[in-house]
Amino acid sequence: MSARDATVTRPVAPHRGTWALSWSGVRTVAALELRQRVRSTRWIVALVVWFVVVGGITALATGSVSLVSGGGNGSVRTAGTGADATSPLVPTGPAGPTVPAGPVIFGFVVFFVLFLGLLVAPTLSATSINGDRNAGTLATLQVTLLSAAEIVLGKLVASWVAALAFLGASLPFIVWALAAGGVRVMALVVTVLVLALILAVVCAIGLGFSALTARTSGSAVLTYLTVAGLSAVTLILFGLTVPLVNTQADVTVYGVEGWDSELTPACSWFTDTRTVVHTERTWWLLALNPFVVVADAAPATTSPPSTASFDPLSAIRTGVRYARTGPETVVDECWTRGAGEASPVPERRLDSAPVWPWGVGAYLVIGAGSVVVAVRRLRVPQKVLPRGTRVA
Amino acid sequence: MSITGADHGEGTRGIVVDGAYRSFGSVHAVAGVDLTARAGAVTALIGPNGSGKTTLLLMLAGLLVPDAGRLTIDGFDPVTEGHATRARVGWMPDTFGTWDSLTAREVLTTVGAAYRLPREDATDRATELLETVHLTELADSPARVLSRGQKQRLGLARALVHDPTVLLLDEPAGGLDPRSRVDLRILLRRLAAEGRTVLVSSHVLTELDEMADDAVFLSHGRTVAAQTVQAAAAARRTWRVRALSASALAAWLTQVHVPWEAEDSFAPPADAPGALLIALDGEASAAALLTDAVTAGIPVTSLAPAGGALEQTYLSLEEERR
Repeated sequence: MSARDATVTRPVAPHRGTWALSWSGVRTVAALELRQRVRSTRWIVALVVWFVVVGGITALATGSVSLVSGGGNGSVRTAGTGADATSPLVPTGPAGPTVPAGPVIFGFVVFFVLFLGLLVAPTLSATSINGDRNAGTLATLQVTLLSAAEIVLGKLVASWVAALAFLGASLPFIVWALAAGGVRVMALVVTVLVLALILAVVCAIGLGFSALTARTSGSAVLTYLTVAGLSAVTLILFGLTVPLVNTQADVTVYGVEGWDSELTPACSWFTDTRTVVHTERTWWLLALNPFVVVADAAPATTSPPSTASFDPLSAIRTGVRYARTGPETVVDECWTRGAGEASPVPERRLDSAPVWPWGVGAYLVIGAGSVVVAVRRLRVPQKVLPRGTRVA
Repeated sequence: MSITGADHGEGTRGIVVDGAYRSFGSVHAVAGVDLTARAGAVTALIGPNGSGKTTLLLMLAGLLVPDAGRLTIDGFDPVTEGHATRARVGWMPDTFGTWDSLTAREVLTTVGAAYRLPREDATDRATELLETVHLTELADSPARVLSRGQKQRLGLARALVHDPTVLLLDEPAGGLDPRSRVDLRILLRRLAAEGRTVLVSSHVLTELDEMADDAVFLSHGRTVAAQTVQAAAAARRTWRVRALSASALAAWLTQVHVPWEAEDSFAPPADAPGALLIALDGEASAAALLTDAVTAGIPVTSLAPAGGALEQTYLSLEEERR
């Protein structure tokens, strides 16, 4: 009967439940996961490939932007992807020689990093729990004094840190865009923070699905479908619901009513019944889109808004705020007004409240929900086993 | 030994299982198991594949909730006092999943950290355990390069990291070479001698004869028998007696009214070295028979049990089942 005083320290631990959390517990799991991952995958290779691809896109964007704005005519259309998107909006002729290229490059690089991040993040977490269960290593952790919450958060931290490594590898190019001018330093900070948050949420979603499904392929597919749903399906739904939010409404128009003579018509006020689209009812679909969230969160560029430069972030920000404001009730259609003549139609006031907090809020709810699901699935002792799984 | 715990007040050392049930869908994996595993003894959990051994161990390890019945580990209920139970239990699963990229030492220090051992203690403990399971040379190579038996030994070390008072070992001898099996037996005897409770499930019955003090037999999720290994050894069982002349031996056995069976039932005993099977009540009868045979001038060369003590019980239970 000497076991109690035999050999080394026995862990003396007060009672801890499923939700008990300690930093040391989370760190133990995260360190374990990262060690496993760093040594078992072609980690460095993946980072180098990432660096090269993002660098290539940045170089391409920089090149095409400088060609288009520097060359100054619409003929430079074949310079790259950036050029095709940019050229229609770039003024022809020598206008705007001082337009900084920064916002354009910044927008493209940030979107590209987000796009790649959305592709990579699910692979980092979506097989984390069911993969361990299949390998027989999950129960090994569950029988220890780690709580289910510590196991889940440790795995989340590990996959997030891995995702942040990819974000870190793209940082030089984002800074490069900053150096091109026209982008506030604050924009860099905010954008990187929002990107990091979105990656964390995607990691959490992957973790939730990996706790729910028995097979790793199943959870990977579900995570990718969710990411695709947020990135693409929200846009498609927004487009498809346009007919549903159409109404006929009386609109006050300032313009030419019934032009039937050769004389230069004068503009006047009249009321017309028009089809209006109530996007203020569906704008939240856009707010769920990660690209919209990033664009909306980035502070405005330093160049005045009228500057004719296609900055994807600003364009999306303006677009989504238009959508949120809803249809105009007063329309200026006076095309006969001479230059310099002031319009009596008041400048349209956009809803200036940011859209991104809604998206970020929704993400936090989704992420927290996924973590809760995963923790509940890892509670021991288990009453119900997920279909097709074994404890060990 | 008693099958059900006569008194399982709080603070009782050892394992007490009282009418445990657990089913997965329509499969009744554990359907009425009673067992007591004493502290300071090695208890063998014996049963055919699918008899519910692993499920029972999972419930004791605090991973599964029993549908019905009461389990206690050192007086703690794994369901309501999971944390206290897990602090006391060392569990070695039959599947030897391990973190492939970690070295053997890292596996043990990580598990130590998961049991909230201070870092230095975990490091010392890892070194000590690697020594115990003879993996010191492989301590710093990744677990992936370990053979099946080496992984099994690492799994045993993993179960011991937090110095548990109760050990649950699921098929610990699987994949072990003969030398490691002997080491395992010595280690488990030592752990039991230190006052720990050791519950071992295994198929290798001859090994359990030498390792276990008590045995619990499971079949179809039920406890079908429980006895001490000593009692099993003393029970009436088959012995093999070998002589220089099998025919002379047969004639003498017939003469003293001891029923015998030829080992090779197709040929009658010849006047040549051969063995016969007889049923004897324990070692005292064996000694008496041997004395008589030698006195009668029968050239006996050996007399030994024709199988392990537990094997005999196991097979007799199997026969009952048919």
